[in-house]
Formats: sequence, C-alpha cells, structure tokens
Amino acid sequence: MANAPAIATRPSRQRSDTYDSGQRPKRSPERRRATVGWLFIAPFGVVFVVFLVAPLGYALYLSLFSKGLATGTAFTGIDNYVKAFTDPAFLGGVWFVIRFALVLIPVQMAVSLALALVLDAVTSRFARFARLMIFLPYAIPAVIGALMWGFLYSPTFGPLQQLFDLFGGTAPFPLSPDNVFGGLMNVVTWQWAGYYMIIIYAALQGIDPSLYEAARIDGANAWQVAFRIKVPLVSSSLVLILVFALIGTLQFFTEPQILRLVSNGTIGPDFTPNIYAYSQAFAYANFNYASALSFALGIVVFIAVYIFLFATRKRGSFLS
Amino acid sequence: MTTARISIPTASSTRSARSRKRPGRLLVPHLFLGALVLYFLVPIWWLVVASTKNVGGLFHGSAGALWFDKTFAFGPNLVDLFTYNDGIYLHWLGNSVFYAVVGGVGATVLSILAGYGFAKFRFRGRRFAFALLLGSVMVPLTALVIPTFVLFTQLNLTDTIWAVILPSLLNPFGVYLMQVYTADAVPDELLDAARVDGAGEFRTFLQVAFPLLRPAFITVLLLSIVGSWNNFFLPLAMLSNTNLFPITVGLGLWEGQASANNGGGHSLWGLIIIGSLISVIPLVIAFLSLQKYWQGGLSIGSLK
Amino acid sequence: MNKKRLLAAVSAAALIAGLTACSAGGGATNAKPTNCTNKIVDKEAPLVSVWAWYPNMATVVDNFNKAHSDVQVCWTNVGQGGDEYAKVQTAISANKGLPDVVMLEADHLPAYEIQGALVDISKYGANKVKSHFSTGAWKDVSQGDAVYAAPIDGGPMALIYRTDVFAKYGITTPPATWEEYAADAAKVSAAGGPAFGDLGANVPAALMALQIQKGAKPFEYDLADQKKITIKLDDQDSKDVLDFWAGLVKKKQIGTVDQFTTDYISGVVGGKYATYTSAAWAPGYLTGAGVGKGESSGVWAVAPLPQWDAANPVSVNWGGSAFAVTSQASDKKNAAKVALGLYADADSLHDGWTKQIIFPLNQDVLTSEEFIENKSEFFNGQQANKEVYIPAENAYEGFVYPPIVVYYYAQLQAVTVKINAGKLTGSEAATELQATMVKYAKSQGFTVSE
Repeated sequence: MANAPAIATRPSRQRSDTYDSGQRPKRSPERRRATVGWLFIAPFGVVFVVFLVAPLGYALYLSLFSKGLATGTAFTGIDNYVKAFTDPAFLGGVWFVIRFALVLIPVQMAVSLALALVLDAVTSRFARFARLMIFLPYAIPAVIGALMWGFLYSPTFGPLQQLFDLFGGTAPFPLSPDNVFGGLMNVVTWQWAGYYMIIIYAALQGIDPSLYEAARIDGANAWQVAFRIKVPLVSSSLVLILVFALIGTLQFFTEPQILRLVSNGTIGPDFTPNIYAYSQAFAYANFNYASALSFALGIVVFIAVYIFLFATRKRGSFLS
Repeated sequence: MTTARISIPTASSTRSARSRKRPGRLLVPHLFLGALVLYFLVPIWWLVVASTKNVGGLFHGSAGALWFDKTFAFGPNLVDLFTYNDGIYLHWLGNSVFYAVVGGVGATVLSILAGYGFAKFRFRGRRFAFALLLGSVMVPLTALVIPTFVLFTQLNLTDTIWAVILPSLLNPFGVYLMQVYTADAVPDELLDAARVDGAGEFRTFLQVAFPLLRPAFITVLLLSIVGSWNNFFLPLAMLSNTNLFPITVGLGLWEGQASANNGGGHSLWGLIIIGSLISVIPLVIAFLSLQKYWQGGLSIGSLK
Repeated sequence: MNKKRLLAAVSAAALIAGLTACSAGGGATNAKPTNCTNKIVDKEAPLVSVWAWYPNMATVVDNFNKAHSDVQVCWTNVGQGGDEYAKVQTAISANKGLPDVVMLEADHLPAYEIQGALVDISKYGANKVKSHFSTGAWKDVSQGDAVYAAPIDGGPMALIYRTDVFAKYGITTPPATWEEYAADAAKVSAAGGPAFGDLGANVPAALMALQIQKGAKPFEYDLADQKKITIKLDDQDSKDVLDFWAGLVKKKQIGTVDQFTTDYISGVVGGKYATYTSAAWAPGYLTGAGVGKGESSGVWAVAPLPQWDAANPVSVNWGGSAFAVTSQASDKKNAAKVALGLYADADSLHDGWTKQIIFPLNQDVLTSEEFIENKSEFFNGQQANKEVYIPAENAYEGFVYPPIVVYYYAQLQAVTVKINAGKLTGSEAATELQATMVKYAKSQGFTVSE
C-alpha cells in the first residue's frame, strides 16, 4: 500500500486521529477524502461546466469571429474587442453604469444600513411589521416591479401629477433625459433596499450584546454605539453586499429594458452595456459582437471589483 | 481565516436588556420607519387599488391613481383573469410554481452538497475551483443566453420545461453561502466521530451535518426559489410555446400585446395589473410562512 | 418536525403544479409542432406550423382547417413585432426552431431573405394569386421574379383628423398639401389650440414613408446582387421632410411623445392632437384602445394624405404583413399551400376587415361592393375606404427595403429623439443618419454607393 506508514508521516494539519485505529483498512484517508470531496461537488460541478463554462467558452469562441450580413463569418481575433472598447455606444453605456453605481450604491447602502440599525435598536411590534414590509418588494419580480413603476411614472395615469395639482404645477417626468438617473435609482432602491437591509440586520443580530452594555457604561449614546461599534463589526458583511451590488449595478439590465417602452425615447438600445449587448444579439443579430460586448463588460466588472476589494482590503475579506 | 459568527437570534435574552428606553426616544426612529414603510408600500398599494378598477376606471378614473374608483371590479377582474384565453394565466402561475420549486430545490440540493464538499474536504484544486466559483458571479447573463440557446437547440431541448429548469440549477452564491455556513456550523469532530462509528461519507453528511445546516438550507432554498421565480430573459429566449411560459414571461407577452392594442378588442391592461398582483401572492406567502427560518439563516452573511 | 412537513408540502405543491404544467404540453418538441393554440380538425393531415399575431388568428386558422383536408395549420402566437422577430432571428442563427410559415411585415423580408431563411414561393404557385394584389403590394413581397411572401394586409397612409377641433379653429377643409398642413398648425397654435399632430420617435417606418412620399429613395437594394446597396439618406428630399417636422416641433405646434403608449392614447381621446398621420389599420388600433367611444365618439374623419405636389400625388404605405415560408420547413409544398391559402378565404378576410383588424390587400375584398360602400362607424359614417384608403392602396407603387432595416429604424428613432429634444435640425439629422448607416453597411460587408 502506497501510504502504509500513515501514523508516522501524516501531516500535522490533520485533526482526527481515529482512522488508524485499525478498524477499517483503507488507502490514505486524505486521498479517499479528496475523492469524496470531489464527489460532493460533482453534481454542482457538472451543471456549472455544462451551463456556465461551456456556454461561456462558446461565447468566447463566437466573439473571435465576425459576421456581416453580406459576407460570411470570418475569424477576426480580437477585432471585436478593439471595436467594443472604441465604440462610443458601449463606452457611453459603461460611463453611465459607473456613474450610476457610484451614486446608487452609497444611497442604497445608507438607506439599508439606516433601516437595519433602527430595526436593530427598536423592538416594537411596528418595527417587526416594518421589517417585513420593507423586505416585501424583494418578493416582487423585477419585471413586474418595473411594469408597476412604469405606470406610476406615467404623466397621465400616475399619482405624480395629482400630487403636483395640489400645489399647482406640472409634475416632472421621471424618465426624461434629465431625470432618468433619479427615476431609475428610485426603482432599484425600492426593489433591493429591503434585501440588503435584512442581510445587514441579520449581521447586527449576531453581535454580542454585552458589547453594548460595556459601551453604555462608558457613557456612549445611541449614535456612538451605532457608528463606533455596530457598523465596524458588520463591515465585512457590508463589503460582501457592496461587491454584489457593484456587480449587479454594472450589469444593469432588467429595469431599464422594461421601462424603455414608457421612457419616450430616453432609454435607447445602448443605454447600458448589457442592453447594448442584448440589442446587438436579438435586434440586429450580431451575435459575435454581442458576445464580445458581454465579455468586455465582464472585464470592466472584474476590474471594478478588483479595485474595490483592493480599496477595502483593510476591512477584512470575505475571501478566506 | 476570519471566523464567522453564526447566530440564531436568541430573542428573549437580548430583548429584555434593551427594553428600558425613555418613551420619547422612540418617536424619531418610528417616524423614520413609518416614512420608509410608506415609501415601500405605496406602489403595492397602487397595485391593489388598480386591481379593483375596470378599464374605464383605470384610465379615466374619478379618484385618481391611488384611491378606489366608483366601480369595485375586483371580482369581475379576477374572473376575467382566470378565464381569459382558456385560463392560460393559471397555467402560467402553475408553471412558475413548478419551475421555482423544482429549480429551487434542485439548486439548493446541489449547493448544499457542493458547499459541504468545499468546506469539509481538503483536496488539490479546491482553492482554484472556489475562486472560479466566485468569479462566475461576475459573468453577465447576456453572455450566456445565446450560447445556452444554441446548446439547447442542439439537444432539442428548447421549448421544453428543461430549458428553464436546468439552467436555474446553477446557484454559485448558494454554494458560497453553504460553504461559509458549513465551515462553522458543522464541527469536524462530529463528522469524525460518525466516521469512526463506521458511517459512510454520505450518511455522515445526511445524518450529522444536514440537521445542523437547516437555517442555511432554508435561506438558500428561499433565495433559489425567488431567483427561479423571477427568471425572465432566459425563459423568454428559450420558450415559444405559451403553455410553458412562467408568469413573468406571460405578463410580458400581455404587455406587448396591450401596447399594440392586440387584445382582440379586449383591453389587457386590467388583466396585466391584477395578474401582477396575484403573481406576487405565492412568494409573499412563502416568505411569511418561512419567516422564522430565513431571518435567522441570513445571519450567515455575518463575518467578523 | 416542521421541516419534514415543509418538505412534504413543498413536494406536494411541486407535484401538483408540475402535473398542471406537464399536462399543458410540457413534452419535448423535437420535430414538428405538438403544441398548437388552435384545435386540429383533421388529425390525419400533415401539420404546418405557423407563427402569427393577428388578433383574430384563431378564427382565421379554424376557417382554414375546416376547409382543408390535405393540410392542417398549427398556430402559435410567440409575440408581436419585435418580440417575434427576436425569436425568428435566434432560430435562423441557431439553424433550428423556425416554424414552417411565419408572419412577417414586408419591411423585414429582405433582412431574412439575405440570410437564406425564406423560400421563393413562386415555384409553388405564388404567381397564381398575383392578380389579387395591387402592384405596390406585390412588389413589397417580391425580389424581381422571386416571391418571398403572400401579402395579407397593408397600411396605405392617410390623415385622420378631429372634426371638432377643426371646426373650433376654423379649418373648413382638411389640408391637401403639407404647406396647408403647416399653415393650419400655425393657425391652431396661435389660437391656443392643441397640438396639430405628433412626431413619435418610435414609429420610424412612418417617417421613412413620408420621406419617400417627397421623392426620397433611402435605399436601393436588389437581392440578385446582394452585396451591393445604395444608401441616400441625406438628399434634399429627405432633408426637407425632416426639416418640415423639426420645424413644427421647434414651434411647439406638434407633440413629441411616443405613439402606441397609454399616454398617447389618453391624449388622443382627450383631443390633445388635432390630426393623426397614420395608416389604414389605425382606426382598428384606435378603436381597440377605446378611442371613438364615449367622450371621443363621432369626432373623427379621414382625408387623403397631404401632398408635396398636389398635381403629382404619391401614395405611401406604413406597415402591413405577409406570410412567408421558411427554409427550415420540412415540407415546403404544404407550407406554401398554407402561406398562400391562410387568411385568403372570403370568410377570414371579411372577419378581418369588419372587425377593423386589418386592411386587406386582397383585391377580391377591395373591389367588393360591401367593402367599398362601407360606412365606417369610427369615422361617423364616412365611406373611408371608398374616399381615401382604396385609392391610396391602388396608387401605391411599393418600397425597396434594405436588409439592414432594423438597425436603420433604430438609428432613425435615435435621431428623431434628438430632433424632438431640440438637439438637431432635420438636415443635421439626415446627415448624421447617412454617416451612421454607411458606416454600418460597410461593417456588415456591403459595397456601399451613396
């Protein structure tokens, strides 16, 4: 047997001592455990490879070719990527989602954090009810939420104009070119703030309350407890959800796509990079360029996340 | 490695210590909460109110968008919803439930197995595989839709239930969550003890580890179900047979038709609105009934 | 305990829901259609799959199936317009998934012809029905001698207007030329009246038609020499038309909202627009949206489209659709039979036009007394067909659409948005459009002449 002297040479990392008690003759426990480890991962791994790696590989392959309506498909290497990174439509979209992320995410986090802190501090029945109500929008599919907001934003059928009628004036159109930034921010915050709030809240619930007692004895008021104790202790959760929010926002797609129909032209086919890739694929049938655009966006996301994680590395990483 | 603190909130012990508060101090936080609750509820309130209006009331109503119209048409709207086009809405709802549950349970099972594998076994390539996993979250979905569609056409599986269910089995974030939770909630000693007693690996997992993973399991299950329920673009690309549509795609179809006034004389806006309302109910029920579990389970996000 | 019950409940729910979903036809569809929205009358006959979105398609298909024992139609509505086109395009690219027969608007035909996705049905007897259609209608579905689709309905353009608004602001006859149109718009605006019309950015096909009316030839394309294309989007005629509408926008005499939205319809109902430059299917669309009933009933009339040169009137078309046979059809002969026979029988056509769903192109209808003498309810009893739509259809000579039409529409829409926002003049928009389209066509491998 290859690893017979198991007792003597077993690396000290291994915690359990029990395998070599002679009850079951077996091969090296590490090797056996390694195989079993892979077996546990295998079902997921298969799905992962078949439905993520393979399609991605195929998309990468597609992105290296170009197809013209009048010509056939030809191998063009990284031409599509050069085209993407010099395409004003793509770059404009990237610029929009970056600006959007820079504004939306702090606002969203502030709202979620504030809510979570308040709900952590207040324990009335209303607070419990509030917690549920705030989480409710997450249970609504983004598609339906966007449909709803489309109606609510309508200058004719939404409540905005009625509200302004009380004060005399014309309500602004939330999806006009000037207002669309805020209009979309509102939809996304409404949809997701509750979800982030619950995660932060759960993290807050995990803090040892004796810390609060100690702080209170030292004379700290509620604000200080909140910002000097609670927030730092949940900071790595915050970093985690910030990363996912960043990734999600840079890939902004569903809400603006649905609201295109009611935006009176403000949201065009290249409004965000993801919408642009989708338009290229499904409206203009440029699958090759669309794949390149998707990967180009992926590169942007990767760089952004890397920068972000680098900037917050002191706060502790959720990557073991 | 930072240790994660997993907490099941012990409500009684933490609460009593904090209940001593001066009454005035509660006003501001409550006002803040109240204002935000209002913000989050207004669109849902609009949805409820709009569902009670008939088409005339919807577009030329007397009391405006946020209050009821003179005619209370909720009942007739419901009947209309369930009978339009031979009750296709109920098909869609059933499809969504089916896809969400099968996809959700499937994804959770895969996640829990994989998370356990990552957490409790050391093997070569583990770190790489895990990094790959996390990286996969960064992949834009649009990159995947077309190649997945091509893949499914080759397998002759487009326009079938598998086209929706199989891709939804993928939940990398769920694997990550399970890995984190398993690493801390399941002590190695327990596993080793089971192994000593002669239990096979899978039995060890099932009988020792799994019961300890319940909150995380429910959380991942809920997240997977919600994710599956909200699926829109992949089913839209895959399915042409309207009988297989989930509710999101079905309502999208009606919206397209309504915009072009293609309801065949039947205004679809009312159906879309009440359809949206009804479609939200199953998830809300799921959340309410599983409240106890997910509120505790989401604390696995808490890392020190 | 609780979890076991939960799992049990969840599995039960899944099972029940699954049975519902499965029984609704969740089986694999490899070869041919097994999931039809309609009922098959003759189960022995071969099935031909059809994608179409006509509102009365169920009736049309039933009519066909009852009358035929040699072939049966299996129909699905996979979406309207762009939604269906997205599926068509993905199926073409994936080489699988197209139905045998597909409903396409005439402007989209070249885009699929160049990809080899459509079958020339002149080989299957298309020319037998040629005499049933006007020159323009037939030209729209042909490429030289090849015929790629069977025309069903069209959209000859005309001017719909509100009689009450015209009366209120002293316009006694509807404008016969665009000059008169502009003058009337100024008149109404000066008196504080509503917008005279609307320049909707999301209806580029209409704008293109109006440019062609003045003499513009935006594209020249022949499938026989498919790599060559001529693009002329910035000639004087094109610029003139865009300048005309941009001028009205600038003077705030017309609206700038997207059409086909609930907001637009609400405006139409409320009299916010005095006219609607539209196609023959517009009355049906408006009626379906609730216009012409209640507060806006009895105030509509239609007049021939204003002309640039009254002595040489030009008819133009917006929209309309046809049935094409796809290259993925397993039995092309049967598919052609369906394409040529579906929605071509008297009953279906009668149902279509009496319910205002389509403006039929079939001359059998256009020459029938009932159709000619029909008093339109929407137009308060006016004989709209006789006075306006039939002459417009018969004078229509057909357009040339480019294979890059989808991209073109998107670009035209984008510049119209800029015109509406006051960021571009008409001429500037035309120049920008020309540059964009030439660049795009070249990138798609075409040899471009300007």
